[in-house]
Amino acid sequence: MTAQEMTAKEKQELSAAQEKTRPGRYYMPDVDIREFPDHLELWADMPGVSDKNVHITLENGVLSLEGRVDTDLYEGLSPLYTEYNVGNYFRQFSVHESVDCAGIKATMRNGELQLTLPKVEAAKPRKIEVQVS
Amino acid sequence: MALLRFGSEFPIPTLQRELERFFHNPAFTQGLSGHGTYPPLNVFENKEGVVIVAEVAGLDPSQIHIAGHGRTLNISGERKARETGNPVGFHRRERSFGAFSRSLQLADDYDMDRAEAKYQNGVLVVRVPKAESAKPRQITVQAG
Repeated sequence: MTAQEMTAKEKQELSAAQEKTRPGRYYMPDVDIREFPDHLELWADMPGVSDKNVHITLENGVLSLEGRVDTDLYEGLSPLYTEYNVGNYFRQFSVHESVDCAGIKATMRNGELQLTLPKVEAAKPRKIEVQVS
Repeated sequence: MALLRFGSEFPIPTLQRELERFFHNPAFTQGLSGHGTYPPLNVFENKEGVVIVAEVAGLDPSQIHIAGHGRTLNISGERKARETGNPVGFHRRERSFGAFSRSLQLADDYDMDRAEAKYQNGVLVVRVPKAESAKPRQITVQAG
């Protein structure tokens, strides 16, 4: 069986409502959010962003992800032909109260950000034993 | 064509402006180019040769294959999901996975045998140097 072919999709620019004060256009990273019984996983594609340039903040229940791309690579280059634009990334999510905010962990590898959001004890599923009366 | 020079505090707007000039150039948007194929490519040049850049997050460098056949450069690979386990649900599912392959025709003046590729932070950079014969040379004027 051959693997599914990937297709290109246009990068999504940040909408005006979320506009940033830093110069230049921002893009929305593509995101997957997977839910497990005891935690959530958030994956965001931010190619061009190193682990040092990703900033994650959680304030008033809003999780903000910002990635700044490294432009050193382009120094001294002259474009011949281009198909995509380059820019920083930004995206926000409201975090449900079932998430244990203090336990959020993040790793960045190959332009792929992974966040693990554990659930608070009260939100984890539990098995209730039926007692024989 | 102006070289990108980022002396300023804000290099990104300069870079974005330079890259965008091509998006509205009819010579590149009338079906001759590879718009819509994955991965999108940006092609640059510098004194040494041509530099091809692609944003391909989440690959394992061993899953990227770069081959040169004559003047054709082929970039292929497969993006596999790194996450494991079966979630009970998805709240967002925007990223894509699978195989990709793109070929690009270069001019004769490049030396494919000396091409180099680097993958860092999800960005693939392929550098193909100019062939020795295509480099400018100094011709000494001899006194007659």
